[in-house]
Amino acid sequence: MSARPKSDLPQGTLDLLVLQVLALEPLHGYAIAQRLKQMSRDVVQVTQGTLYPALHRLENRGFLAAEWKASDTGREAKFYRLTRKGRTYLEAEAASWERLTGAIAAILNAAKGEAS
Amino acid sequence: MTWLQRLVHRNRLEDQLDAELRDHFDRLVDDYRRAGVSDAEARRRARLEFGGLDQVKEACRDERGTRWVEDAIQDVRYGIRGFRKTPGFTIVAIITLALGIGANLAIFNVLDALLLRPLPVPNAPQLVTLTRWIENNPSPSFSYPQIQALAARTDLFASLCGIGTGTMFSGPPDNLEPVGAAFVSGKYFETLGLAPFMGRLLSAGDDQPGAAPVVVLAHSYWVRRFAGDPSIVGRTMLLEGQQVPIVGVTPPGFEGATIGQRTDITMAIPAQGTLQPEEDGGTSADQRWLLVVAVPAPALSRDQLQARLDVAWRQLLEATTPTRLSAEARRRALSMTLSVDNGTNGPSRLREPLRMPLAVAYALVTLVLLIACVNVANLLLARGAARAREIAMRLAIGAGRARIIRQLLVESALLAAAGTAVGVWIAWAGSDAIADVIIARAAGPDASVAALAVAPNARVFAITVLIAVATTLIFGIVPAWRSSMTAPGMLANSGRVAESHGRLAAALIVAQVSLSLVLVIGAGLFTRTLYNLRTVDRGFTPGNVLLASFDPRRTATSSPELQAFNQSVLRTVETLPGVGAVAVAAVTPLQGGGMSTPMTVNGVSTGLAEVYFNIISPRFFEIVGTRLLAGRDFTDADDAAAPAVAVVNETFVRLHMAGGEPLGQRVRISPQSPEMQIVGIVQDAVYETLRVAPPATVYASYLQTRGRPMNLVIDASGPLTEMAATVRTAIQPKVPATPMRIRSFAAQIENSLFQARLMRSLTSVFGGLALLLAAVGLYGLMSYMVVTRTREIGVRLALGARPTRVLGMVLGSALRMVAIGIIVGLPLALLSSRLIAGMVFGLTPTDLPTIGAAVALLALVGIAAAALPARRAATLDPVRAIHVE
Repeated sequence: MSARPKSDLPQGTLDLLVLQVLALEPLHGYAIAQRLKQMSRDVVQVTQGTLYPALHRLENRGFLAAEWKASDTGREAKFYRLTRKGRTYLEAEAASWERLTGAIAAILNAAKGEAS
Repeated sequence: MTWLQRLVHRNRLEDQLDAELRDHFDRLVDDYRRAGVSDAEARRRARLEFGGLDQVKEACRDERGTRWVEDAIQDVRYGIRGFRKTPGFTIVAIITLALGIGANLAIFNVLDALLLRPLPVPNAPQLVTLTRWIENNPSPSFSYPQIQALAARTDLFASLCGIGTGTMFSGPPDNLEPVGAAFVSGKYFETLGLAPFMGRLLSAGDDQPGAAPVVVLAHSYWVRRFAGDPSIVGRTMLLEGQQVPIVGVTPPGFEGATIGQRTDITMAIPAQGTLQPEEDGGTSADQRWLLVVAVPAPALSRDQLQARLDVAWRQLLEATTPTRLSAEARRRALSMTLSVDNGTNGPSRLREPLRMPLAVAYALVTLVLLIACVNVANLLLARGAARAREIAMRLAIGAGRARIIRQLLVESALLAAAGTAVGVWIAWAGSDAIADVIIARAAGPDASVAALAVAPNARVFAITVLIAVATTLIFGIVPAWRSSMTAPGMLANSGRVAESHGRLAAALIVAQVSLSLVLVIGAGLFTRTLYNLRTVDRGFTPGNVLLASFDPRRTATSSPELQAFNQSVLRTVETLPGVGAVAVAAVTPLQGGGMSTPMTVNGVSTGLAEVYFNIISPRFFEIVGTRLLAGRDFTDADDAAAPAVAVVNETFVRLHMAGGEPLGQRVRISPQSPEMQIVGIVQDAVYETLRVAPPATVYASYLQTRGRPMNLVIDASGPLTEMAATVRTAIQPKVPATPMRIRSFAAQIENSLFQARLMRSLTSVFGGLALLLAAVGLYGLMSYMVVTRTREIGVRLALGARPTRVLGMVLGSALRMVAIGIIVGLPLALLSSRLIAGMVFGLTPTDLPTIGAAVALLALVGIAAAALPARRAATLDPVRAIHVE
């Protein structure tokens, strides 16, 4: 168990993260959760109660496609994969996210500068 | 997956969701196990981390976006299950709604077909019709020369045509079949914008004097009569004994431009003269029989057209008014004006006489529908009260109020849907029957080819949906709202619900009573109208009299020939067995239509006052039962060689004799006819309609006037059906190729009461229905009240209240509702009685005895409906009643 504080995800960013994780390779739900945890160094932890509705939402909107395949455990698992539409969406959202965070960072830094 | 697929493959999605989450859970367990904890502990931790499986599932289901549909389906299933449990309630509610909706749709369908439906032709939106006005009296009919003159004004009309309708007989003489014919001027099809389905349609070339007759078939007639024979164009059909070439077929769906009269075949106007020479060709200036349809000239608004037409019409009138008219008649003819009316629906002679009855009928059925809705609302309220526990339970375990209201509205919608489905079925069967009855009766002699296409269209469909939705809301919303007010605390005690339910239900009963009162008063007014019309002193008695009409003009054409023919027919019938007496008459009373004109009395014109006249043989008065008051009847000696004589009625004497001895004075029908000496006076007798007092009437001898087709009036001693057969066998061979029309005098009188009988039937049936519904509602409410107050009544009885007092208490509360309903309903009834002021006879629409009787009837029905529950209350066993839970 990590002692580090866990951050709540801002609204809408979970979709972005999920899409980004799946941009590398198709994964099933459990693996997506693990991957998010690892990649964020345990900062981002999503519960099943938010992850699965998000996956289903993205699938219904056509950003993800799902396929039942045999997995490492030998059981069939539902693998999600990014669609072309999802990739386009991810690129657009990622770019806008970067613009936003850049702008926020700039404001915070400027504020720090003034304060010091 | 699309939204729809997600909805349809719901079960598969559920399985997958379950498998997916289970997989996740198993992996969690595996991970913990790998970390070295025991099997049971791994599962426990996994469960803790995973959280509520069902919450996750619900959240995923929400993402599908199909939730509301699934909920609705669930509501529907739940509703149906509930209805199955209470079949009595369900059936009563559905039948109530079905009757209300069915009646409404049936009448609307007929109303739509007659009044609203545009002609199925390309030019329908532009079409106008013309109406002639003489001193506030409208007439849609024009003469052929007028049509030609109007059609020539291409600066006013891009295209204008005249349409006459009639019946032709097709086939060999021994097997004649009536065919609905339209006789049209050259630009008919051009005006409507119709293209041929096959062959060609009529054009200006066919509308020429002496043009060879050709016929265009309606698509439906072509299919019905010729089985849709593709090689029909170029063949001939036998019409009125002549082979007429078929040149084309009109497009499917087009049944003629004149609504209410079926058009099987279409011919040019001059063709009528060629095929039916006895009809005088229909092209003369004094035969006004053509309806007008036109397309205005481009870029001419209706107002502009009207303004220019006013000018043009003056000139046309001067040119087309017959010159041989008297100065007075000419002045009247020239005072005629024209109005341009919307012609999108096509012209119709039936529309005006039926507009009011249909509007009233529609108002009636809408009232009935409202009453039906109120009744079902009441049933639902009672059901809601019975379900208070269930609803309180649902509220207690977390259902939202909106969800409860929706559930109840879905149930209402289910009832409305079922009611509408059955109602549409009723309407489907009903509107054909209604159309047939209304149209056939209103069309009178042309009934054999009268028809109204009532196939439902988009507008009827729209009104059906609208009615279904409106009824759902009307009867559903209040009970639903009321039920959702149930507090979860009601689980313990449902007394308060019952009480507030009672107040609302009472208000609904009051509404029902007031609406019923309106209908019952209407039924009373029309019943009395019919009675008054049947018993009014009409100046004749139908007796055992048979009427037979036929047109002898194929056999006898000249005036002397016709006179001789009529005489020979009279002699033949006289000798038939079972004939007491026989006469001929040009017009039989109430046959519809008649003859009237200004006359000259002692050389002085009666001016604007028209005098009715009739041409009869001796014994006519005796047979129809019109009493001779002074002088003598005609005799066989009053023939062409003898001095011309006349018989007049009392009103004629009163209006035109101005005192002095009427016998011996002189009257002349028209400048061409001989001056007649008055030799007899008869009592006043109704002529054209029972609603109008007998007009001044002059009778002339059939041997002293121009020969014309006559009706046989036979006083039979035996059964009329036998008499009819005997007459047909004896006379039909004398008039080949024109079928005889035989009916009893009594039937002709009844037929003339068509409108009154229609209104009486409509108001009685619907009034009865409304009364029944109100009674059922009242009975239900009173029974419910007695049940909910059982304990209280038991206490009263135990404390010594007399059963009669309890009886009175229940009856009293029922009568109170009825009384309030009557007080509310009376102004409503007075208001709506204005609508029918022109349709009642022999009484005013605010006739006090009728209103009094209606009020008494409602009070009686109220007592009858409450009697059983009241008796039940009065005979309760106090001991048991007190212990009722």
